[in-house]
Amino acid sequence: MQRDKQWRNLIAVSDLRKNWVTRVDFGNRPLAVYDAPSGVYVSLALCNHGGADLCDGYFDEHLIECPLHQGAFDVRDGRAIDTPATRPMKTFPARIIDGCVQIKI
Amino acid sequence: MYAVRVNCTREIEFHQNCEHKMQAVVTPLTQALSEGNLTREELRELMERSNGPALKWLAAWVAVALTTSSLVVFAWNSWLIWPTMFLHGIVIVHHFSLQHECVHYSVFRTRWLNKLVGTICGYIIVLPNRFFRYEHCDHHTYTQLHGKDPELIPMPKNITEYLLFLSSIPFWYARVNELLRHTLGHLNDQEKRFIPAVEQSSIIREARLMVMFYLAVVLLMYTTGLWAPLWLWIIPLILGEPVMRFIRMTEHVGRPTVAQRQENTRTNLVSWPWRFLCWNMNFHAEHHYASSVPFHALPDLHEKIKKHIYIEPAGYLGAHRDILAQLRKGPSSTYAKG
Ligand code: FES
Repeated sequence: MQRDKQWRNLIAVSDLRKNWVTRVDFGNRPLAVYDAPSGVYVSLALCNHGGADLCDGYFDEHLIECPLHQGAFDVRDGRAIDTPATRPMKTFPARIIDGCVQIKI
Repeated sequence: MYAVRVNCTREIEFHQNCEHKMQAVVTPLTQALSEGNLTREELRELMERSNGPALKWLAAWVAVALTTSSLVVFAWNSWLIWPTMFLHGIVIVHHFSLQHECVHYSVFRTRWLNKLVGTICGYIIVLPNRFFRYEHCDHHTYTQLHGKDPELIPMPKNITEYLLFLSSIPFWYARVNELLRHTLGHLNDQEKRFIPAVEQSSIIREARLMVMFYLAVVLLMYTTGLWAPLWLWIIPLILGEPVMRFIRMTEHVGRPTVAQRQENTRTNLVSWPWRFLCWNMNFHAEHHYASSVPFHALPDLHEKIKKHIYIEPAGYLGAHRDILAQLRKGPSSTYAKG
């Protein structure tokens, strides 16, 4: 039986790299947390094209660019912006409560 | 639930609802960060993008290209037209270096500028930009691995093969063949592997557009009697290509055909005019370490990781001396025995 998704604490806002991407291991799941101009967003850390770690990539406003092939995604909705990434990346609903980033998972 | 290999030694497992299977790869960059060769803050600074440095470099680039093309025009009625076309050709073939940077989206911060400039360069040197991007991605994944790296230049077996490669004859044969094959709608098995199915039709369309453009240029020259593109573009491109083949050989040929970036790629220390022409791509090992670092930051990256890469201090000539020395010693002594 599938459990309902719940909000869970991920990382303190003060521990985020400002205007950049921060890697957080949530259990054994590597996640990328983005400090973007319009808020905080969270996705899986591994690029769905070839498995590179997006947290080593280049982050610019709402765009995360993969360090291996420079495929790019919009962190707000996971949409693939540039090839060779063609599929949306997995994102998670995120919010900030009491100085802590939470995700619904 | 499935397993992901990390660092080839550790395995992690995680659930990933409705996600496709995915394997973590250890990029050279991840490795450099984990080994402490580079800190995340240093990397962030190095990756900083802006349009300024590229626009300045590009302005100088256009000035150089205009100067060399003017030399061809001034030499029009003398034998000097051939050496000047060769000189101009050296600049023309280096559009490859700019296009290469553009397919990594690192030249300009504005992403569409990378696509636009990369596409224009591709038209100049007969290399469809979108296709090159896919092929080059695979080169970064499988650098120097026989049967996998689509850009691998095999170590020549003898001096004849070496000279034949430098002549550019095999290169043009393969390039034209590839373009026509794509125009006819055929992708080979290797290409189907690295070009996603949803993108294959756009690669074919891109090749058709390019062929139509060249046919239009030929038709225009023929009907107007203005043959300037032939003397200022096409012949210089053909004359200059051996120089680009000479340079391309120095990046990986003669280095071990193994996955380790510290081994399989050569950085060549060359003088500033060559660095200018190749958009710092002589820092090739650095580029393979962190391909998101823009061309203008590669010298800084070089300073940080130079102890961890292979460097040829004598530049392109030194690299060829190395290749020729390996050739003389025979196949058993060459790195590239696959
Ligand atoms: S691994 Fe991310 S774009 Fe290829």
